[in-house]
Amino acid sequence: MTSTESNSDWIGRPFKRKEDHRLMTGKGQYFADYPIPAGTAHLVFKRSDRAHATIKSIDTSAAEAMTGVIGVFTGEDIRNEIQPLPQPVVVPALPAVCPTHWPLAVDKVKFHGEAVVAILARDPYIAEDAAETIEIDYDDLPYVGSAEQALEPGATKVHDDWDDNVIFAMAFTGGETEEEQAKNDAEVDALISGADVRVRETFKVHRCGVSPMETRGAMVSWDDGDGMNALITTQRPHIDRLAIADILEIPAQLVRVIAPRDQGGGFGVKAPFYREPLLVCYLAKKLRRTVRWQESREEHLMVVSQERDQTHDLEVGATSDGKIVGLRDRGIADCGDGCEGVYWGYLMPFLGAALLPNAYDLPMCDIKIRVAVTNKSALSPARSFGAYPTRFAVERAIDMVARRLGKDPADVRRTNLIPELPYVSATGMNYDSGDFLMTWDNLIDTIDLASFRRDQEAARKEGRYIGVGFSTGAELSGVASEVLVPMENQPGYGAAIVRLDPRGKVMVFEGDAPQGQSHETAMAQIAADEFGIHPDDVLVTTGDTGTTPFGSGTIGARAASYTFSALMVACQTLKLKIGKFMVHDLKLDAEPADFDFTNGDIIFKRDSNIRKTFREMVERIIMAPLDLPPGETAGLETTAFFEAEKPMICFSAHAAFAEVDVTTGQFKIYRYVTSEDVGTVINPQIVEGQVQGGVIQGLSNCLFEEFVYDENGQQLTSTYENYKLATAADVPDVEVNHAGTPCPYTPRGNKGLGEGIPGPVPGAVTNAVCDALAPFGIEISQLPLRPSTLWRMLQDSQATAAE
Amino acid sequence: MNKTVTITINGEIFEESVPIRMLLTDFIRNIAGLTGTHISCTLEGVCGACTVQINGEAVKSCLTLAVQADGQEITTVEGLATDGELHPLQKSFNEHHALQCGFCTSGILMNTAEFLEKNPNPSESEIRHALIGNLCRCTGYAHIVAAVKGAAQ
Repeated sequence: MTSTESNSDWIGRPFKRKEDHRLMTGKGQYFADYPIPAGTAHLVFKRSDRAHATIKSIDTSAAEAMTGVIGVFTGEDIRNEIQPLPQPVVVPALPAVCPTHWPLAVDKVKFHGEAVVAILARDPYIAEDAAETIEIDYDDLPYVGSAEQALEPGATKVHDDWDDNVIFAMAFTGGETEEEQAKNDAEVDALISGADVRVRETFKVHRCGVSPMETRGAMVSWDDGDGMNALITTQRPHIDRLAIADILEIPAQLVRVIAPRDQGGGFGVKAPFYREPLLVCYLAKKLRRTVRWQESREEHLMVVSQERDQTHDLEVGATSDGKIVGLRDRGIADCGDGCEGVYWGYLMPFLGAALLPNAYDLPMCDIKIRVAVTNKSALSPARSFGAYPTRFAVERAIDMVARRLGKDPADVRRTNLIPELPYVSATGMNYDSGDFLMTWDNLIDTIDLASFRRDQEAARKEGRYIGVGFSTGAELSGVASEVLVPMENQPGYGAAIVRLDPRGKVMVFEGDAPQGQSHETAMAQIAADEFGIHPDDVLVTTGDTGTTPFGSGTIGARAASYTFSALMVACQTLKLKIGKFMVHDLKLDAEPADFDFTNGDIIFKRDSNIRKTFREMVERIIMAPLDLPPGETAGLETTAFFEAEKPMICFSAHAAFAEVDVTTGQFKIYRYVTSEDVGTVINPQIVEGQVQGGVIQGLSNCLFEEFVYDENGQQLTSTYENYKLATAADVPDVEVNHAGTPCPYTPRGNKGLGEGIPGPVPGAVTNAVCDALAPFGIEISQLPLRPSTLWRMLQDSQATAAE
Repeated sequence: MNKTVTITINGEIFEESVPIRMLLTDFIRNIAGLTGTHISCTLEGVCGACTVQINGEAVKSCLTLAVQADGQEITTVEGLATDGELHPLQKSFNEHHALQCGFCTSGILMNTAEFLEKNPNPSESEIRHALIGNLCRCTGYAHIVAAVKGAAQ
């Protein structure tokens, strides 16, 4: 071993998580675990039990008379006190109409579960009791229960001051002007109608989402001098801070938002700027005392975590080789009431349409969507943001083309994969780097497709029906400003502060707020790798706007692309500064970059006998600022910002294996394999965890979860008893394969992965079931996929065959 | 209406007068101050995040009243490690990356600790079925299954 060989190369190692010890011993600090100051007012909401109704009167007198009740507030009480949303800080720069609303319903309720009255009491039990006594007199209005219904001419309006129920409509292809688009659409029409084979189907994905195990909450205090201290469950504390300051007209320096150190999952649900925390902030300031609201699971499932809910009328035309020559999509989405800061319920279908072409080379597309408001809760983001339904539609269509042509769906898919990057899709999305074909071939080799086809043939002869289904995902991996500024009115860059401690330790500050994504571990590995020390010597602080640099939040797999890159840049900046001191102190004829940081030492690259310890140099620069290099200052701390020039993507290819019992429709997903390209892997165990979890979320959405509203808009699935999540016994292990292509646009070739992983799942799973049932000619176009649905389709197919 | 109960939690005796409607979860979190026991499904008994052991048996503390635990010995996740030495399950969960957000982890540890006592050498299928009372949203369960298997070995 030479003296420069390193034991401190931490990038790429399955380093065991630093977060785990406290989380496994009951010492985590989730929202509910923060101490509640004496005198705190506990807030409970009285929510609407109607889907759509005029509020005639609210009688709060009995509640107000109860001992222990601190205050009762209705929409009328706050409508002239709080500026209504929308306000610019939470409005995207897209052509949409954002509905006017306050944190509590004003004049009418628009969905079952909307907050109508806020009750504050000395303890939450009293607040609950008081809420029971409140009488609300409603006049029911017609329920608008689907996008189709909402878009009918003359439909009942959800928002009375609008012309119709369209919140957003957009053409994603063909150019800026209507003339350009019409020309493009005519070309796509001609290509599809002239194609060797055409497939057209309406694909529908139901309302479901990614409800995290920890619900939402806010605990906010106010002091006339110090201002506001707001503990909020959030993926984006810095965005919430700006929104609170602007909307409540508080000078920004007086607002500090803290995301709990530990959060019990988010998956997008904790990204919007919601009505409830805004009200808690307002009331804390008004009452000059701490106000606390902790969401119940029932509230959570009624109000948030509902996504998907899109219908796509999709047509593709392909050559006899299976190459798709044209694609047309007319999508509609059921947005709910749309009253939700930043996302407004329509941003998910927007991005789903923008990502529709996926990893396929589809230059000729005509994609248009319309998003309608209805009397349901606003769609809130869920992992695979908006793209779950469009992925399903396109992946099913590819298999239908293959079946029509008598080709293997794997071959048709490979024929259509983008062969070379960078690439700009028909919807204008930038795909930066990666090798789709290599990653795909890796998947096909892993599963040994040829051998499976032989087994499948043999099984069919025995009356057993097994199948394989494929899908892919080109997913956002760092949402660049180019996308995020127009989409969410927020910057894309990542930021990190690195502060070296005189004892040779490293402190890292991140403005994003993780909820299980292992940032503490990954960032400690990066800093340790850069400085040649141990990850245990690095402390990572996240999510406190009082101490961390600005960050747009833990969204879109941006941490490993941008925030971690900012950390690398910050470390490298400080290394150069230390290098200058090395050159100066040791009187070397050298450059500041001529040193290796390894195993706790700083070693001159040209003579490994010339070295200092990391600790002594750091201590010397911070604590003994004598004899400085010319122009240098003492201290070792820096903030770095990082953004690649163009948006980035990561890629994954999926294969699911299903066995179907054709007499009952029961089926089992017995194997699931992925192959993904995520650039240089920082910690393979964390990547595998993201893939495992993402696939099972996608599977749970596809097979089990469904938000159900009855014909009057009553939400019937507000408990985990009837909103079923996958359990361990319901799901397979996922075999995860890495095929990494270092990203050329980040300091270490790194990029993020995780957000989009559920998206390809419904395609792979339904394609596997349809492949198994190919002898019956069954093509699935709607989710969820249930044995009862399959049984009916099998019955119909057999009846048709008998005729 | 209140009642005085004597409940031993992780070897420490608590004698308190509590409302008879108080849930054991609230007693553990608010009276004993042990916040490792979590509430996720909000008291339906579905998610398993609040699982503790009463006299060595895994129980969902949100479906138990504090008065029902009178005179009983309770172990919470804070009592799983002894003198700073982690339980084999805790070590194995770290080794196998069996937690991400960690919110469900306490309940899973308390459930599977009892499970391994009764079934020291379980199959994968037995482990998966032992976990149906615990929901996890992050991991997809595979690493949890591997960690339980690892702790059994």
